[in-house]
Amino acid sequence: MKPVPAFTVPSHTRRSALLAGLALLASLSTPVTHGQGTPPVQPLPSKKPDTDAKVWGALVFASNDPKEAASMPKVDVPPEFADIPARLGKVFPYKHIDVIGQHLQDVFREYESWVVPTKDLFLKVDSKGPAKEGGMNLHLQFWRDQQVIVKTDAVLKAETPLFIAGPKWRGGQLLFVLVLQKGS
Amino acid sequence: MKTPPEDHDLLRWLDGEMSAAERERFDARLAADPALKAEADMMQRLSADLRTHLPAEMPVPYGDFFNSQIQRRLAQEEDQAPVRVPASAGWLSWLRLQWLAPVGLAAVLIAAGLTTLKQGGIGIPEGGSDTYVHSIYVPNTAVHASTYHSTDAKATVLMLDGLEEMPADRKIVGFNITRGEVDQDVAATTLFDAEDNAVAVISKDARSQPVLLTSSPAR
Repeated sequence: MKPVPAFTVPSHTRRSALLAGLALLASLSTPVTHGQGTPPVQPLPSKKPDTDAKVWGALVFASNDPKEAASMPKVDVPPEFADIPARLGKVFPYKHIDVIGQHLQDVFREYESWVVPTKDLFLKVDSKGPAKEGGMNLHLQFWRDQQVIVKTDAVLKAETPLFIAGPKWRGGQLLFVLVLQKGS
Repeated sequence: MKTPPEDHDLLRWLDGEMSAAERERFDARLAADPALKAEADMMQRLSADLRTHLPAEMPVPYGDFFNSQIQRRLAQEEDQAPVRVPASAGWLSWLRLQWLAPVGLAAVLIAAGLTTLKQGGIGIPEGGSDTYVHSIYVPNTAVHASTYHSTDAKATVLMLDGLEEMPADRKIVGFNITRGEVDQDVAATTLFDAEDNAVAVISKDARSQPVLLTSSPAR
């Protein structure tokens, strides 16, 4: 009979413990939280994985309430995406449209990529290779916490952003934007 | 079966388009023709039922979506060339009925919607310059997803109707992340801000659900 180990740690527990450790390191190394000097950065593998493209994801709060809109911390949008709020306004009829989170991310060729402009709503991106006539074939999963809201296969082209209508919040609506960076 | 002129008179009578003299003559015909009278009564009831159940004006959700679908269908039909001859004058008259207009509109919209469902995505030709959604899957059956191209915004839009609202007391604060690097050994991605500070780590648990750990205090 095969001997049974006295104690076995399930793989997911080990991973959770490791992630908790990573998070702890991250927590200790973030001046935003602690207001101290620049801490050491988490060590990463020396070989960088191959990438297929680069995407910009943004979380947008759209509202008709000027007080709510004013109370939201905004981020500075890179110039190449500066027209996105105005374009959103042509689809979602709100008076105030503000980018409150953003994430510029490589799309890994062999690994899943995450676009996380906020911890509440984020996107998993799997590359399915370049599209025949330009753009990228992508599998996208739109997550809210630990619930997947929608899964979709799409060809993302640099000229046309993808707008995702998210949940309503505080009388307004959360919107998610995904853009393929030109030349990426 | 009635001849087209009879059909035409019946439709004009239903629509109230007859003059007093014409109406008097048609009423006499109805009195003399039980079959015509029965059909007239049936059409009057049908018309009244439709008016009761259909609003006078029906808002079109996502106008851009329907416009793009209808334009695409029209373009397709033009490409398919053969000139279509109306089946009969009676059918054309039928379509001219005012009360049938909402039904006709609904049929066009349903046809456009069915085309979309069949394609599983938007009605934009694949291979164009626009982002194209091939397929959509929504695990929560209470949520309805649809997608269309907005020509005004030059964007592809994924609508998700029926999403549960975010609690108003939930504080949502965005990140400002400039890059993410994957740790291949543990399949975790560390996300960094512009100052190269680690902001969050994301990976998946044993159920393949994302686990996101942030360096910020609980919000």
